[in-house]
Amino acid sequence: DLLQWPQISKCRSPEMETFSCFWTVGNFYNLTVPRILQLLYKKSNEEDWKECPDYITSGQNSCYFNASYTSVWTPYCVQLASKNEVYDKKCFSVDEIVLPDPPVHLNWTLLNTSQTGIHGDIQVRWDPPPTADVRKGWITLEYELQYKEVNETKWKELKPRLSTMVPLYSLKTARDYEIRIRSRQRTSEKFGEFSEILYVSFSQIGIGCDHCTEEVEFPWFLVLVFGVCGLAVTVISITLSKQPRLKMLIFPPVPVPKIKGIDPDLLKKGKLDEVNSILACHDNCKTQLYSDDLWVEFIELDIEDPDEKNRASDTDRLLSEDHLKSHSSLGAKDDDSGRASCCEPDIPETDFSASDTCDATSDSDQLKKATKKEDDLLCLDRQDNYESLPRLANTDPQCQHRNTQSENSQLWAPFGDSVESPCPSVHTQISNQNSLASTDFYAQVSDITPAGRVVLSPGQKSKLGRAQHEGCTEQNFTMDNTYFCEADVKKCIAVTSHEENEPHVQEQGYNEDGYFTTESLTTTAANLGASLAAPPSSEMPVADYTSIHIVQSPQGLVLNATALPVPDKEFNMSCGYVSTDQLNKIMP
Amino acid sequence: GLLLAALLVSHMLLTKEGVTSLPICPNGSVNCQLSLEELFDRAVKLSHYIHFLSSEMFSEFDERYAQGRGFIAKAVNSCHTASLTTPEDKEQAQQIHHEDLLNLILGVLRSWNDPLIHLASEVQRIKEAPETILWKAVEIEEQNKRLLEGMEKIVGRVHSGEVENDIYTPWDGLPSLQLADEDSRLFAFYNLLHCLRRDSHKIDNYLKVLKCRLIHNNNC
Repeated sequence: DLLQWPQISKCRSPEMETFSCFWTVGNFYNLTVPRILQLLYKKSNEEDWKECPDYITSGQNSCYFNASYTSVWTPYCVQLASKNEVYDKKCFSVDEIVLPDPPVHLNWTLLNTSQTGIHGDIQVRWDPPPTADVRKGWITLEYELQYKEVNETKWKELKPRLSTMVPLYSLKTARDYEIRIRSRQRTSEKFGEFSEILYVSFSQIGIGCDHCTEEVEFPWFLVLVFGVCGLAVTVISITLSKQPRLKMLIFPPVPVPKIKGIDPDLLKKGKLDEVNSILACHDNCKTQLYSDDLWVEFIELDIEDPDEKNRASDTDRLLSEDHLKSHSSLGAKDDDSGRASCCEPDIPETDFSASDTCDATSDSDQLKKATKKEDDLLCLDRQDNYESLPRLANTDPQCQHRNTQSENSQLWAPFGDSVESPCPSVHTQISNQNSLASTDFYAQVSDITPAGRVVLSPGQKSKLGRAQHEGCTEQNFTMDNTYFCEADVKKCIAVTSHEENEPHVQEQGYNEDGYFTTESLTTTAANLGASLAAPPSSEMPVADYTSIHIVQSPQGLVLNATALPVPDKEFNMSCGYVSTDQLNKIMP
Repeated sequence: GLLLAALLVSHMLLTKEGVTSLPICPNGSVNCQLSLEELFDRAVKLSHYIHFLSSEMFSEFDERYAQGRGFIAKAVNSCHTASLTTPEDKEQAQQIHHEDLLNLILGVLRSWNDPLIHLASEVQRIKEAPETILWKAVEIEEQNKRLLEGMEKIVGRVHSGEVENDIYTPWDGLPSLQLADEDSRLFAFYNLLHCLRRDSHKIDNYLKVLKCRLIHNNNC
C-alpha cells in the first residue's frame, strides 16, 4: 500500500455565505491516535493561524465556517496539520469555491399530447436550492436538466438556463422517463450535485398508450431502396436518352486537350489547305501566337522587313506539298522523356515532333529519316555529314524538299509567318533518306528534344552537315546546350541560302539542348533562287538562322539576329551561335 | 432608399459588440429617459459580461503562463482596491445603504479605469500572448468605461443628496508590469488579473443585490 498523507480533499461553499473544508486521513494510523489532525486557517490580512471553529457540522473530517467566519472576497489559506507537521495547505477565496446545492421540489405537468397519443410534451418545474439566496440576488444560479428513458443508460442534456422551468417535447407516452437537475453559479464552470430523480410516467395520469408500443419509425430501409432504384433509373434513362443536351447537362463531357487554334479533327482529315489557311496567319497573327505561347515569347525574330513579305508566298508554295502529314507536325508532342541520345531511332509516331530524337512519322518516312539525319547532325554524327555532303548539289532539288519542310514547320511553328523554306527541293531531299546532299541549305527544326537536341527536318541537315564537315574535326560539337559554335557552323555551312526551319514551337518541354534556327525566309529564299516566289534582294545576305540565346531552359529562347562579321573573322561570340547575318556573309 | 441607408448606418453605430443594445428611446419620444429598471438591467448585463471576460482571461493566463511557476502557492497579494471598504458578506451587503453601495461601486470602477488601460497595452508585450487574451483586455477596458457611464447615470437618478465622487484608489502597479525579469512580470500580471476577476465579481454581485432590492423589492 502506498503511503497516503492526510490531504485536504476540497473546500466548498454552497451559497457564498458559509464554507466547509473536507480532508482525508490517509493511512497514517499511527498518527491519528497520538496526534490529532487540525485544520488551521488564516485570512490573508492576518498573521496567525487559527483553528477550525466547527469540526462537527459538516461531518467527519470536515471543518465548517459559518457566516461570521466567512468573508467572501478575502483570500484564505487553510492547512491540515498535527502538532508539528503540516500535511497539506490550500489557499483560495470563497467566491471561487461556490458549488450550489441541488434544486428541490421537482415536478412535471403535461402540456399536450400528439393526435395519435403516442407522443406528449411536459413542463418540468423546480425550485432553487433553499440555501442559495436567489431572491435577494446574492447568488445567481444556472440549471442544467438531464433526462432519459428508464431503461436507457445515457442521459440527454439540455443547455444550462437561468429559469426554473423547462418544457420537454415529444416524449413517448408509452415509456417512462427519469429527470434530474443540477445547478451552478453563473460564470462558474463546476456544477453542484444532482437533484433527486424525478420519474415521469404517462400511464399514471391516464394517457399512457399501451397498445401504441409499436412506434412508427421512419422507414429508412424503404427510403433507401426506393431512392437507389430511382436514382439508377434516372441515370440509365439519361445515359440512354437520345437527347444529347440533357446528357450533356447531367454528364458534361470531359474536355480533351487542345491546342488553341488548331482543330485536331481537321488535321486528321488531312485537308491541308484548310489547315494551312488556319495556320497561315500572316503577320498579324504573330503577336497573338507569341502571347499564347510562353516559349514563343522569348524568341525575338530580328528579321528585316523586306524578307517577310516573301514568307506568305513561300508558305503557300510550300504548303502545296501535301505529302507531309500535317497532323504529325502539329500534333507534335513532347513525349520524350529525357532520352539521352538523340540518335536512337524511335518508333515513329504520327507526330514527328513526338521525338526529338530520331523519331520519324510513319507517314513521312523521308522526313523521319531526314530528321534522323538532322539529329545525327546535331548529335555530331559526323559520318553522316561527310557522306551527305558530297551529295549536296544544287539547290533546286532541295527546294522541293524544302517545301515539305516548310510546310511542316509552318504547321507546327506558328510563329508569325510560317516557315519559309524557300526551297521546295526539300522534298526531294526528304525522299533521299540518306543523303544529306539532297537536303537543302537549311533544315527546319522540327522538334526539340527534352535532351536539348534539335530535330531538324531534312533541309537543315545539309547545312549543318557542311558546317560540321568543315569544322567538325576541329571542334567538339557538344555544344553547350543549345547552339553550335559559330566557328563550326560557319565552316560547316555550305549553303547559306536555305531558309531555316522555323523552330518547332511546342509547348512542351524543349529542353536545354534545343537548337533553334529561326528562319529568315527572305534570306533563304534569296539564296535558293529557283523556286522562290520573290527572292529577296540578292545582296542581302540571308542568314540561315539567327543566333539563339537561350533564355530559359525549356521554353524560352531569345534569338538575336546580329550582324555578321567578316567571314574571315573568327566568330567567337558567345560560342554557340552564329547570327544570321554572319552566316550569310560566310556563305558563298 | 436614403432613409433606409441612414437607418442601417445608425443601427450599426448604435449596436455595439458584446452586449446587445436596448433601444435608447422606445417609441421615439423626444425627451425620453430610460427607466431605472432599464438602467439597472443594462448595468447588470455589462457587469456580468465584464466578470465573464475577466474569468476567462484569468483562466487562459493561468493555463498559459502560470503553470509550473508556483504562482498559486504564493498568497495572492492584496489588490489595490483593498483599501476601499466594501461589503464582504451578505449581511454587510444588505445593511449598507444603497447610495453608499452605489458610490462604492463607482469608486471601484473608477479605480480600475487606469489599470485596465495599462493592462490592455502592457499585455501586448507579453511574449507570444494569445490573441484571445489581448482581445479580452481591450474589450474589458471598453466595457468598463461604459459601465462607469451607466453607473453615473444611475447614481444621478438615485442619489438624493450630494454626489460623493471621492471614492477612489490610485493604482501604482505599472512598473511591476514592466519589469525586466519575466517571472516577476508575469506574476504581476497574474495578480492583476486575479484582482480584476475578484473585483468584477464583487461589482456584479453588488449590482444584482441592488437591482433586486430597488427594482424587485427583494423578490428576484
